[in-house]
Amino acid sequence: MTAKILPAKKTEPITATDLLVQVSLISIGIVISMPIFIAFFTSFKVPEHVIDFPPHLFPNEWTIESYRLAWQATPFGRYLFNSLVQSGVITLGQVIFSILAAYAFSILNFPGRNWLFYLILGSLMVPFELVFIPNFQLVSSLGWANTYTGLTIPFLASAFGVFMLRQFFLTIPLELHDAAEIDGAGNWRYLWQILVPLSKGSIGAFAIFSFLNAWNQYLWPLIITKSVEMRTLQIGIRFFMSNLERGADWGPVMAGSMIALAPALFVFLVAQKQLVKGIAMTGLKG
Amino acid sequence: MAQTNLPAASQTATASTGFANRKTWNKVKAAIEGYLYVAPTLIGLAIFVFIPIFTSFQLSLNRIAPFGNQTRYVGLGNYITLFNDPDYWNSVRVTLLFVLGTVPTGLFLAVTLAILLSYPTRHLTWLHRLLIFVPVVISSAVAGVLFKWLYHPVVGYLNYWMVQIGLFDSMQDAPNWLASKSWALVAVIIATTWRQLGFNVIIALAGVQNIDNTLYDAAKVDGANTWQRIRHITLPLLSPTLFFLLLINVIYSFQTFGEIHVLTEGGPGQATMTMVYSIFFDAFVGTPQRGIASAQAYLLALMVIIMSYLQFSTVNKRVHYQ
Repeated sequence: MTAKILPAKKTEPITATDLLVQVSLISIGIVISMPIFIAFFTSFKVPEHVIDFPPHLFPNEWTIESYRLAWQATPFGRYLFNSLVQSGVITLGQVIFSILAAYAFSILNFPGRNWLFYLILGSLMVPFELVFIPNFQLVSSLGWANTYTGLTIPFLASAFGVFMLRQFFLTIPLELHDAAEIDGAGNWRYLWQILVPLSKGSIGAFAIFSFLNAWNQYLWPLIITKSVEMRTLQIGIRFFMSNLERGADWGPVMAGSMIALAPALFVFLVAQKQLVKGIAMTGLKG
Repeated sequence: MAQTNLPAASQTATASTGFANRKTWNKVKAAIEGYLYVAPTLIGLAIFVFIPIFTSFQLSLNRIAPFGNQTRYVGLGNYITLFNDPDYWNSVRVTLLFVLGTVPTGLFLAVTLAILLSYPTRHLTWLHRLLIFVPVVISSAVAGVLFKWLYHPVVGYLNYWMVQIGLFDSMQDAPNWLASKSWALVAVIIATTWRQLGFNVIIALAGVQNIDNTLYDAAKVDGANTWQRIRHITLPLLSPTLFFLLLINVIYSFQTFGEIHVLTEGGPGQATMTMVYSIFFDAFVGTPQRGIASAQAYLLALMVIIMSYLQFSTVNKRVHYQ
């Protein structure tokens, strides 16, 4: 800390305002993240002491007992696996489909191109509440309720992805495409061997959005999963909580939330910059 | 001789007449290629977004007889039923209260934090951002579970700390958040505002950072203090961002579901029965009434689509502005 502050002092002295802003930002930050800290500390307390009164923030004794109990009481391993499959398939589908469509909308020429692009953009305006009942009926009638297919198939196409990747593909000079064509590379090869490697950053950023949104999905997995074994983590933790509420087993419930939270938090820690930039640029969460 | 001549002749024939043909053929080929590239996305959206818009409307015109699978066409009957149903108007009222509770608070906090965050501190910027942005990755389910623990009536941290700082005399006086008809909606509003905050601050901060620094310098020269600079430079220049945030927050608030399902399930009574929750309830809880649910979905969608349209027509302005 001091080592960092000192060199800065040479150029500009630390003013009272600096200190005030610094202190208030840190305190506000702690208040905002407090629900997460509380869950974190609760999950490492001795389960019997979780409901001690008055409540204390830090565990007197750190233990992973709550995690063990949670893992035993409900198939968290299975939930985790389901969530990974569901989010993985959705992310993969959205990335591949969006790359293809974004390529067509930025480089290829075909009749109705603009019209189709606006149609796809228009789908962003359609609230999920309007379509989820027919989708539920369709997926159920195809026998896909309570399956991975049912969990993922409605979300493989992403208008947001097409929009975001197209914006990026448009920044890559068209001469590159023409040069590749002269060298005998068709669209397919140009896309996968030149354009995609060049766009790794944007595709990565979109994949992060896609994964986070899929991972955090709630309404659809809630209605389309019927058996406990097919639930995703988000649904699993919710029912785990409502079943144990009377038993006040809040330690294991918080442990479960930490498990459901961990991958999203990890992505946030690693890719904060891309995530923030993506949100600021598109104005959307995906 | 004749055998070698014939192919040669036909070759020149295609070459001379086929030049234009080949051009059109190339065009057709390129068009087919384009359609193939957009096909997966387009088919996906057609099946799961575009067609359901119509199916949903059709559903809203039918009613399923109780204890049977017979659907009966009722025209606008479901809509008329809704307009005469006090429960429907309650869901509209709760939704509007929910929007009024989340959006202004969320925007106020976002702008305040964005202005603070844009202060050039140089130190620990990553930590400020980490702590303040983090709700952006939290799911509605986890947000609900975390807050359910905070709201615990007997050992909850929120009530305990409110008693500690003297807001309430004892734990018994503090609100029983989720079981009280007057506090449950507030509880859901707090949880939702919290989860939305990360996103809002990110957008607001981007807006604040886009403001030309020379304006502040000029104002400083003219003797404007910090508050005057915020009041006369930051806020007016932030107005496109604010308008955008206002719309998108209203859209998100209209659609909030997870927190309500985890925290209150629409109760107690119907205190937190928003329009979205009521759609879910009618369509999937107990005897499904998908016709009535679809009619509600249509009415909700109408509001959301108007908002989205406004948002899309302003997003360009926002981007140009950057």
